[in-house]
Amino acid sequence: MDEWKPSPAVKPHKKRSWYLAWKYKLMNQRALRKLCQTGAVLFLLVTVIVNIKLILDTRRAAYEEEEESAQDYDDEMLNVEVPRHPVNNKKVLDVEVYSSRSKVYVAVDGTTVLEDEAREQGRGIHVIVLNQATGHVMAKRVFDTYSPHEDEAMVLFLNMVARGRILIFTIKDEGSFHLKETAKNVLKSLGSQVAPFLSWRDTWTFVGKKGGEVYGEKHAKSPALSTWGDPVLLKTEVHLTSVEDAECHWPDTELNRRRKRFCSKVEGYGSVCSCKDPTPIEFNPDPLKDNKVFDVPVAVIAGNRPNYLYRMLRSLLSAQGVNPQMITVFIDGYYEEPMDVVELFGLSGIQHTPISIKNARVSQHYKASLTATFNLFPDAKFAVVLEEDLDISVDFFSFLSQSIHLLEEDESLYCISAWNDQGYEHTAEDPSLLYRVETMPGLGWVLRKSLYKDELEPKWPTPEKLWDWDMWMRMPEQRKGRECIIPDISRSYHFGIVGLNMNGYFHEAYFKKHKFNTVPNVQLKNVESLRKDNYETEIHRLLGEAEVLDHSKNPCEDSFVPDTEGRVYVMFIRMEQEADFTTWTQLAKCLHIWDLDVRGNHKGLWRLFRKKNHFLVVGVPASPYSSKKPSSVTPIYMEPPAKEEGAVPVPAVAAAEQT
Amino acid sequence: MQKINRNVVLALLSLTSLVFLLFQLCYYKFYLSQKNGAAFSKVRGSQSGQDSTRWHVVRKFLGLISSHNIPVYLIDPLILGLIDKDIEQIRSSPDGPSPECKYFCAPRDFTTFALLDKTWKHEVGLFRTAEKMGFQWLKIINKDPRLDGMDDLSGMEIPLHYIFKLASHAIHLVVFYERSGNFLWHGPLRLKQHMDRKFVPFRKLHFGRYPGAYEKPELLLVSIDDLKVQIPKNPSSFLEEMSHSRFLECRYREARAFFQLYPDDASLDAVEFRKRAKSLLHLAALTLNNLGVKFWLSSGTCLGWYRQCNVIPHSKDVDLGIFIRDYKADIIPAFQKAGLPLKHKFGKVEDSLELSFQGEDDVKLDIFFFYEEDDHIWNGGTQAKSGKKFKYLFPKFTLCWTEFVELKVHVPCETLQYVEANYGPEWKVPVKTWDWKSSPSNVQDNGVWPVDEWDDVIQIY
Repeated sequence: MDEWKPSPAVKPHKKRSWYLAWKYKLMNQRALRKLCQTGAVLFLLVTVIVNIKLILDTRRAAYEEEEESAQDYDDEMLNVEVPRHPVNNKKVLDVEVYSSRSKVYVAVDGTTVLEDEAREQGRGIHVIVLNQATGHVMAKRVFDTYSPHEDEAMVLFLNMVARGRILIFTIKDEGSFHLKETAKNVLKSLGSQVAPFLSWRDTWTFVGKKGGEVYGEKHAKSPALSTWGDPVLLKTEVHLTSVEDAECHWPDTELNRRRKRFCSKVEGYGSVCSCKDPTPIEFNPDPLKDNKVFDVPVAVIAGNRPNYLYRMLRSLLSAQGVNPQMITVFIDGYYEEPMDVVELFGLSGIQHTPISIKNARVSQHYKASLTATFNLFPDAKFAVVLEEDLDISVDFFSFLSQSIHLLEEDESLYCISAWNDQGYEHTAEDPSLLYRVETMPGLGWVLRKSLYKDELEPKWPTPEKLWDWDMWMRMPEQRKGRECIIPDISRSYHFGIVGLNMNGYFHEAYFKKHKFNTVPNVQLKNVESLRKDNYETEIHRLLGEAEVLDHSKNPCEDSFVPDTEGRVYVMFIRMEQEADFTTWTQLAKCLHIWDLDVRGNHKGLWRLFRKKNHFLVVGVPASPYSSKKPSSVTPIYMEPPAKEEGAVPVPAVAAAEQT
Repeated sequence: MQKINRNVVLALLSLTSLVFLLFQLCYYKFYLSQKNGAAFSKVRGSQSGQDSTRWHVVRKFLGLISSHNIPVYLIDPLILGLIDKDIEQIRSSPDGPSPECKYFCAPRDFTTFALLDKTWKHEVGLFRTAEKMGFQWLKIINKDPRLDGMDDLSGMEIPLHYIFKLASHAIHLVVFYERSGNFLWHGPLRLKQHMDRKFVPFRKLHFGRYPGAYEKPELLLVSIDDLKVQIPKNPSSFLEEMSHSRFLECRYREARAFFQLYPDDASLDAVEFRKRAKSLLHLAALTLNNLGVKFWLSSGTCLGWYRQCNVIPHSKDVDLGIFIRDYKADIIPAFQKAGLPLKHKFGKVEDSLELSFQGEDDVKLDIFFFYEEDDHIWNGGTQAKSGKKFKYLFPKFTLCWTEFVELKVHVPCETLQYVEANYGPEWKVPVKTWDWKSSPSNVQDNGVWPVDEWDDVIQIY
């Protein structure tokens, strides 16, 4: 009884009697006793609860330790993965193709992949290429075969498409006027029954597999010259093949994985996607010895002309001394295909949400690209600026490496450009020769960071100003009398035909015959003589040795320059003040060089080649070199032709075109 | 008797449960303390088994990256701490074989290395080789902050961290990027939703809780524990740098929103002022950094950074803050030498010190000295003509790095509180007329300078 009551300090007897008394009292009071019991039970319950809590806490603590480890590191912006288009294992695609005078559309499995009902646009044959395994659109083109030569482009394109691809054709408005026999034969070989007989304003749709079956064709003849064929709607089914069959079996390397990704997405790039012996996508050109531009970032300004970009990047990556890690391609807009091209070559690309329109859009894209370039390469003192429609000379970097120190040291320089505005086949001769010019040619040039950061960037034209960035850069407020260094023979070639300020005629007249250096490792001569003061000495030396041409002859005639080689000749033209280019413009016109505005001048002096002789033109009396004119010689004056009515206003700039 | 027995049983039960409860409480307490010291207890538990694992993993990793010509350097703070103790010895005998494994054998979950982004080519081959060697790897990518400030550019995401795991050890590879302002930056480590949260105990990583800014380190190739590794030439200064490397990105998105509301001033005057303010700030930063004086962007300059990521064109000066404990008497001569004459000096080192230097073309450089109290920080102002003193109060703050006009500079980490203290809750609205004696919301009158001190505490040049 008393063994559980250990309290030796208390006298047991007395205690006992007290206890018993208390107990009996208690027993008599049922209610109190019950309370005591309930208390004990409650106490037990609390113990149990504490117990359970302990177990829970311990478990939670253990769990938290693992969980918390990641908690701080959670990305607050939860990137919700957009579920990919459900992969349907369907083996059949429903294809709908519509052709009519004013509207065409193509729908694949209910999804419209082409719809064109714009007026005055999209005339000709629309072609869509589908992947035969996935049904994805790989290429979309329109060939205006109402106009000449477009059929040749179409043949070229169709030949580049890999065998087995699904081709969809539809005509909008008119597509037969300049569709020649060759093109018709190609269409016939694809299985078209109608193609050889396509005629004026017919409507036509055709779906077939390259080198295989025909899935359907519909055609409506135009009843009369003045009317169109009835709209036709072709509905057909295309059977998909397995992915295995649709792909080439290249050896599994990193490069080929890039190639595979590219080739399963897009079409129209020819041999890069050939199963047998595809064109390389890595070029490993010779490195340059003592390359001073190896660490200079290269910004490639691009729009949505992926085929141009492809050609451009090939030539850029083949240039000696190129450093692919420094190249960034800036794409104006969220276009996929240019990005695919960039990834094919393993370069980095940045997309830019278009701001503003037309010229201003290009300007804003330039600004963003240049700022980003200097942000990405904060160490860089320079940036090379290229555009997507340029071929790059094999010695482009060698040319820059030899001349870039001038830009660093000579404050009177504005840029180094790879482009000579006046360097045509018949006016450029010496790949080792450089000039100083007061105009900024663009088309492949080097920009000094300090110029951009301190002067240009803060006051760059804002989006609402529809200015051309290059025209703006040429304005005296920006240029401040500084000059650019250019080569006699350009290190870039402008091949773009479609663009904001560009069309076929314009390109043919002003760009096609431009000379382009193809000789590797050209050693530039006398780079030091390009410095501000040295250049004056050099010019005076040249003028001193130059033979004065016979000013009684017509300078436009070939006989104006004697049939010699390697001589230096000078002629004097009238130039009343610094901005008087009347005679020069006429001379430029008859020499078939750039005459749309004044380019390539240095203090009223132009330097070019005629018949392999160095040919100097001095404007008298505005030029400081006028003193070299013998007093007997009268400067030539050429009258501008009487103003023609409706003279075609030609865009003055061609450096910044985008589609 | 039965009734008594029941009571006895109940009492017995109560007693045992009491004892049990006490025992459990003790156990719980013990468990909690164990959890807090988990890193250490775990280490102790696994010492015998793990010590060579780490060394082997590090060796394998170094082999992997050297086979791909990727230059990494060691930034593990624990190892650098150990190395720093023997740095003289290591420097003097760079190739000596180690008698014992001293550095790479202390069992830890991680060893941290750094990689300069521009020194490698992002080859996929590295990861294939790593897999073949048995490494599991995790890549953490995120937006490129160097493009963040740009309107509407979307570049590819860039890798910020890599983790290579082999057996029980993991290598944390932090990718450093060069930023404008001639410094290195590493990003925060943030896991995306689909990522494995238990890949490694992320919480124990030394890098990645915040982004960080560092100077470009000079490297030293050393051989420790028979492994050749690059380490920062001066480990102690690296560790010191690391302890306050936290970097704040400018709030570009908010700045854009601000400019939507209040279009930027694109006038020639504004362009010119920004250019001058920028070059003045560059000059001031150069001067103070040479003296080793820590400073931060204060007042209007800080507001410009926080609100619009740029210099406010209608502010007429550049404002910097310096803790009075960092004050050096050389500051004035150094600025004068740099071509910035002292314009005025108010207060004294013990109280309300403020310096103004005259920059080129009317741009003024104001340096306010900050005095720390127990629960706040303040700086003083003085009205020249009346000798009145003012006090500007700020809540306590610490300093973070940021990038501003192509410069790595400090700003208060708690920028919002700082700006709000100074400019009130309406700081988002541009104000062109500002009276420094009454406009700030944290200004207090602080008496008047005694007239006999005026010559000393009010100096105008």
